[in-house]
Amino acid sequence: MKKIRSTFLIVQAILLVFCCFLPGGCGRSEKEKIEKYSSVVFAMDTVMEITVYGDEVSLKKAENLIKDLEEKFSVTLEESDIYRLNSEGSASVSEDSYELLNKGKEICERTGGVLDLTVYPIVRAWGFTTGEYRVPGEDEIGELLKKVDYRQITLGDEGLVTIPEGVMADLGSVAKGYTGDRLMELFRDCGITSALINLGGNVQALGTKPDGSLWKVAIADPGGGEGYAGVVAMEGKAVITSGAYERFFEENGHTYHHIIDTSTGCPAESGFVSVTVIGEEGVLCDGLSTSLFAMGPEKAFEFWRESNDFEAVFITSDDRIFVTEGTEGSFTPLGRYKNVKPEVLRHDQN
Amino acid sequence: MMCPMRFQSEKMKNGLNAKRITLDGILTALALIIFIVELQIPEIVPIPGVKLGLANVITLIVIFEIGPIDGLIVLILRIIMGSMFSGRIMAMIYSMAGGLLCYVVTLLLKRIVTKSQIWVCGVLGAISHNLGQIMVAVLITQTPELFSYLPVLVVSGMITGAFTGWLATFTVKKMGDRFGKLR
Amino acid sequence: MIKTKTWIIIFGSLLALCAGLSLWIFLKPTGGNVANVYLDGKCVHSVDLSAVTESYEFTVSSDRGMNVIRVEKGYISVVDADCPDKVCIHSGRISDSAAPICCLPHRLVIKIEKEMKAGDDVPDAVSK
Repeated sequence: MKKIRSTFLIVQAILLVFCCFLPGGCGRSEKEKIEKYSSVVFAMDTVMEITVYGDEVSLKKAENLIKDLEEKFSVTLEESDIYRLNSEGSASVSEDSYELLNKGKEICERTGGVLDLTVYPIVRAWGFTTGEYRVPGEDEIGELLKKVDYRQITLGDEGLVTIPEGVMADLGSVAKGYTGDRLMELFRDCGITSALINLGGNVQALGTKPDGSLWKVAIADPGGGEGYAGVVAMEGKAVITSGAYERFFEENGHTYHHIIDTSTGCPAESGFVSVTVIGEEGVLCDGLSTSLFAMGPEKAFEFWRESNDFEAVFITSDDRIFVTEGTEGSFTPLGRYKNVKPEVLRHDQN
Repeated sequence: MMCPMRFQSEKMKNGLNAKRITLDGILTALALIIFIVELQIPEIVPIPGVKLGLANVITLIVIFEIGPIDGLIVLILRIIMGSMFSGRIMAMIYSMAGGLLCYVVTLLLKRIVTKSQIWVCGVLGAISHNLGQIMVAVLITQTPELFSYLPVLVVSGMITGAFTGWLATFTVKKMGDRFGKLR
Repeated sequence: MIKTKTWIIIFGSLLALCAGLSLWIFLKPTGGNVANVYLDGKCVHSVDLSAVTESYEFTVSSDRGMNVIRVEKGYISVVDADCPDKVCIHSGRISDSAAPICCLPHRLVIKIEKEMKAGDDVPDAVSK
């Protein structure tokens, strides 16, 4: 009996504690404001951060979409469309894979083969897929180069894709950009007007910030470390950067990075250290950032002059910054580039 | 000296009679008064957590002379009512963390100190009180930098703890066996 | 049973150690000149104290309460608050201190750091 009584006392004490919290907990007024929801997903070998101003449901949908697309595009997952295509030579693929292969081929075409969806065997020979880096011999590269041709991927009817033996398709250079586009579409369908995603360095935004101001996207310092080379202000665009600093290794005093020149089969010696492409379409920006990097200044600037669907920020290895005219004013150099005056590229100059 | 005391506190554990409730109530009231009065003393050192902690005198006396359970009851009631009366409900979580850690340390020390060494419990209790507070503060504000206050809080805890501990030792000595009769 | 003398020796050395440590912490400069104001662990305001030309005040408020923060060249302080203990106000102004100003009831912390954690220079995302 006495035990019960002391239990009562403790229960009373606990109740008293709860009473103290009640006014704060229940009395709070519901604020009319857009809630911010964020989540971090590990997919496609990278960290993906999603921030949505709206509701939690769309965030969950976004996570599922990413997982879903990863299972279709992966080169290594045995059930994926791309794995089946590469191992069997032909496969009936999902709508997403078909569309992305199609889109990817278009960009390859547009860049004249600087971007190539079938460069995978060479990237693998250099060890960039596994981390076991090595410098392949000239003969080996020559042999592998014969298998690099995106035109060998044939897109047939009803989702049927065929590929000759020895040729391997890899959507790595465009998959994150496409995923970004799909996420933006999803958010728009959910009625969201403000969202920002960062898919392992590929930044893409929907609308502006909730307060109407522009998103500020920093461009990583190509020298590595925590610093920024500059910041771009934008709304509703994808900001995608390619740089030699992402994956590289050193051997015999030479640095080899992961952006392969599809004409030589070796890391591109382009004179760029970082290329950022800004545009409406994520998949295009993703594909172009890599290809413009590989092209080098002369060809890349020419390529931009002939286009009208993207803007760019180029940083060269001699620390010069070139911005396209659409980026003039929205790009601010930072960090060790603070005193570098960006040189503006214009459509009507030669 | 220890044996009869242990025996008595064992006996106390089993009974929650009117006498004991009254005694705990009076002691809680006493602790509350001391707490409220101490609040009127302006902050001398502008560091969160630096204060005299006079109310701990009562907790110490109750733990040593009446029983650990009574000590816990008096402590918790004093913290809850103290934060309500002083309008510091938001600070209650810090007091609770500090107070409970202090209580646990005092209880552990009780096994190895004599009655004339109650001040040791005061010192280590005050230090652990400050430690508990700062740990909760670091967790809540997510600011590990707050640990930089720790050495200062240890110093202040030792000084204030020695004082309150000495007060408790002094009171217990003066009261002699009178607490025994109260039980 | 530990002798009283032993306790005194233990406490004496601990006291000396911590006194020294606190002096070291409070006198050691952080080398930062940016004050970051955190509410609930999130940075809500950043100011480069070395770049301040004219002093000004602003209020940080939440559903727990409000603090009025004063910024002057090289210094930051809390000048008014509706918290019960007012420790934040009594902390005075800090310029380059490892010990932050904090208002525990309002979960407000002002830290001196090297980098701005909020404001115009902090990007929403990093493209790489």
